[in-house]
Amino acid sequence: MSNKHLFLKPGFVRAPLQNGVGRYVQQLQRIVLKFCKTHGGSRGMRDYIEQDLVDFAKQNPGVVVYLKPRRHRSPVVVAEYLNGDRVWMSMHNKSQSEVTKWIEVLRTQQGDVSGTRLRKFQYTDHPSIQGPWSPFTFKNPELNTAKLPDPKFGANNRLPMSATEQLRIMFEKQRLNEKDLKTGE
Amino acid sequence: MSIIRTGLQRFANIFSTGPGGILSRFVTSLAPEENKSTPKTTKDVIATCNKLIEENKSRNFAIIHLLGKQWRVTDGDLLVVEGYWPPNIGDQIKLEKVLLAGSKDFSLIGRPLVQPGLVNVTATIISKGLSHTRTHFKKKRRKQYMRINFQRAQQTMLRINSVEIANKINEPAKNVF
Repeated sequence: MSNKHLFLKPGFVRAPLQNGVGRYVQQLQRIVLKFCKTHGGSRGMRDYIEQDLVDFAKQNPGVVVYLKPRRHRSPVVVAEYLNGDRVWMSMHNKSQSEVTKWIEVLRTQQGDVSGTRLRKFQYTDHPSIQGPWSPFTFKNPELNTAKLPDPKFGANNRLPMSATEQLRIMFEKQRLNEKDLKTGE
Repeated sequence: MSIIRTGLQRFANIFSTGPGGILSRFVTSLAPEENKSTPKTTKDVIATCNKLIEENKSRNFAIIHLLGKQWRVTDGDLLVVEGYWPPNIGDQIKLEKVLLAGSKDFSLIGRPLVQPGLVNVTATIISKGLSHTRTHFKKKRRKQYMRINFQRAQQTMLRINSVEIANKINEPAKNVF
């Protein structure tokens, strides 16, 4: 069993260099594809290089792509980001579509994100705009000048309504309605 | 005490009577405006809010509905959204499900949404990646049962670029959808 995530470094949501405030800057800067020209483990990687790599390079002019053939070693992709992160990923025995997907992930992420566990999913510089709530928010300011103890503020108004009171309220409502009828005439 | 209670009830009755209650003047509705004469206080409140928006002295915020969650956003916020979501990095999007918008001195409460075109929330997709590896460990004691699953969720990071309130509270909504 792996308990690795329990000891992961916790972190907050951050973006390098206020990315996206004025304009968006792509974070992937450099990608190195290492592969073998003969071994079977590199087959998906070779297919990717033959079929998709040129399109990838055309669509991402900001990314430097290096190819590094090396004999009898398993394929590897290394991505380097603007904030200095370097992500190493083994592509051994991965098919062409898997390689495509992983390279897309490397292209769109903004650094080595797998190393930290996010503690919050939002970051804000302004936690409150209308002022933080306090127990006195929306309370009658009369309380500020009242001299305590005061029977008005000290009354226990959390008691459940008694049957007598309910009857009384019903009676008063009835009387009000009668009055309304009279005024309506 | 009972007198106070009845008084409160009467007060509550005042609040609850009338079309939409006393709070309705703060609320913009999606329904087309009917030809009703608006009371003077309502007009004053709306005029004051419009003036505050025009002066633009304080920061705006909005509560938006995004992928089943509600977020309180203001300019420059970062959000992380989990799960599959089509927008790609560098895309600029408008978040149109605004449940509430406000500034320091007033709030516009939608029921359920603030009318379209009144509040403009724009965002940029900054990055799309995967979360850390989460372990799902299940075990039943003495039952020879154990499962370990690993999963990584897709995460999309958003930067909120602007939360703007247009200077036209209480104007009839134009049906843009």
